[in-house]
Amino acid sequence: MTQIQQQQQHARLAFIGGGNMAEAILGGLLACGYPLSQCVVSEPIQDRCQFLQSKYPGLQTLSGPYANHLAVNGSTSSDDTSSLITSGSVQVNPTAASADFSPAQVVILAVKPQVLRSVVEDLAETIRSRSPLVISIAAGIETSAITRFMASGLPEGCASVNLPPVIRVMPNTPALVLEGAAGMYATADATLEHRQVAESLMAAVSKQVSWVESESLIDTVTGISGSGPAYFFLMMEAMEEAGVALGMDRETAKALTIQTCLGAAKMAQLSTDDLKTLRIKVTSPQGTTDAAIKAFEAGGFRELVQKGVAAADARSRTLAKELGGAKL
Amino acid sequence: MAVKSRLAFIGGGNMAEAILGGLLASGYPLSQCVVSEPMQARCEFLYKKYPGLQVLSGPEANLLAVNGSKSSSASSSPSSAGSTTSVQTMISEGSIHVNPTAASLDYPEAEVVILAVKPQVLRSVVSHLGPVLRTKQPLVISIAAGIETHAIARFMAEGSNFLPSELPPVIRVMPNTPSLVLEGAAGMYATTDATESQRNIAESLLRSVSPEVAWVERESLIDTVTGISGSGPAYFFLMMEAMEDAGVQLGMDRETARQLTIQTCLGAAKMAQDATKVEGGDTLKTLREKVTSPKGTTDAAIRTFEAGGLRDLVFKSVAAADARSKSLAAELGGVSTPATKL
Repeated sequence: MTQIQQQQQHARLAFIGGGNMAEAILGGLLACGYPLSQCVVSEPIQDRCQFLQSKYPGLQTLSGPYANHLAVNGSTSSDDTSSLITSGSVQVNPTAASADFSPAQVVILAVKPQVLRSVVEDLAETIRSRSPLVISIAAGIETSAITRFMASGLPEGCASVNLPPVIRVMPNTPALVLEGAAGMYATADATLEHRQVAESLMAAVSKQVSWVESESLIDTVTGISGSGPAYFFLMMEAMEEAGVALGMDRETAKALTIQTCLGAAKMAQLSTDDLKTLRIKVTSPQGTTDAAIKAFEAGGFRELVQKGVAAADARSRTLAKELGGAKL
Repeated sequence: MAVKSRLAFIGGGNMAEAILGGLLASGYPLSQCVVSEPMQARCEFLYKKYPGLQVLSGPEANLLAVNGSKSSSASSSPSSAGSTTSVQTMISEGSIHVNPTAASLDYPEAEVVILAVKPQVLRSVVSHLGPVLRTKQPLVISIAAGIETHAIARFMAEGSNFLPSELPPVIRVMPNTPSLVLEGAAGMYATTDATESQRNIAESLLRSVSPEVAWVERESLIDTVTGISGSGPAYFFLMMEAMEDAGVQLGMDRETARQLTIQTCLGAAKMAQDATKVEGGDTLKTLREKVTSPKGTTDAAIRTFEAGGLRDLVFKSVAAADARSKSLAAELGGVSTPATKL
């Protein structure tokens, strides 16, 4: 495929922030054949840039004061790029395949929630002029807030004119092992094509991608799949400890526990039975499983799990209020 | 095993099917498997799900499954007319019902017998099979919860003068249902009279359907395996069900809640498993801490679980399964208990 064909087939991506989740998505995409030449990462920490450069030889990484802008805007000529480098406004990957920076068609906001506002406000004019699809993977920042940040610098009342659509994603850490679960929400102005692009990006690292029709459900996604891996880590840790307390060696207890978790999930995924039926089918009356399940139920296990999920959901809503900032 | 052993499953319930189904999915030849199962409805389910599988029911089913048909042990040609006739006779006498779509009526003797009946009936099943087990000396694997190897040996010898050394050794296995999707976890225990070759055969059968297979040094640890991996899938089904319900309560549609929950469980397990494969890989505690930013959403949930005593509750429940396994062993393996009537 020629470079032009690649460009037509695969959108030009700009990752703003090169942390773990950004790297996971980038790595997953590259593993699926996404052309490296269509990806650029803007990352302030030099060490991190070098790490990315060595892991993905030829990857275009940018750092420095002008990096975010260059990643989104592109540069009109290689002369412009050279002068940016000379002036120290941007540092580029010396081994990157080319210094060509065409404008980003998709911008992935992968910075920490706490800095997202200042990053986006700083980029606002550039984003408005290029109008890429904006995808945010930051926890707790609502699309309305991101849209407001993108309007920064515009006179009051001009706000929504020509602002790009925003798609908000709640991914989870198993994306790092290509087994993520992600919830997604798109603003009304996102087209079907926008949604498809966002979905295929997340599908590079997530085996389950679900759209939610109201943004408040992203907090619930947080409570289930966003924070959920930790719930299972805790459950497995408790089972491992139980095994050890009952006389088993730790390694065996751990290995059996983890494989049991994996096996149960696989069965649930492949079965048409619902979870209750799956459980009932393996619970002979008066048997060992029955004894355990009765103990769980008597101890209020269900309610406790539901309480935990609700707590994460509630915290997500509170964070969104804190990070979205006052309207002014 | 270059040549796949002839397997006889005594009992065709969920756990038997989990292993059998997993073996077949992994390429084990259907023709080398026979299942003896008393419930006709269950037999029909197995005929449909595994077309061509030899499934037997009726009073002589267990015996036929283990012994093979009478004439085949005498003649060198397994498909000689004699063997088919004797099975035909049994069918017309009603002492056997077979799968009408099974490839053949030839039943060579079993090399491996898998006892997969409910613990409560194991004693009577095994005592009836005692003589043929002694004669044929197959490898005997028991997957029944709560029945100890010494009890099974005693049942085999019941009503006879057999010496323990004349009886085949028993390998006790605690598998689990994800074997059906080739993701099982199993604990195994063998008495000292099991040979290395027998242990290898048993292990390789289980490994075909279980990525995790662990030998335990004391039989009492099989009760603990029961509490962790034997019964464990149900604990995760319950947890996932609770998370799905929580999602629905918070306004999510059920299908989305279900799919996100299940994939989250799978993803967490995969991360945990990858960590065990790395030298000095993260413990489950560290994995959790790494994804729990202070004051974040995960922190809120974890604090709730800790305050609510999740760890204690998990211990209590695992211990309950372990204890039930032990009490089953005491109830059903008892020396002083008279033999249960058929």
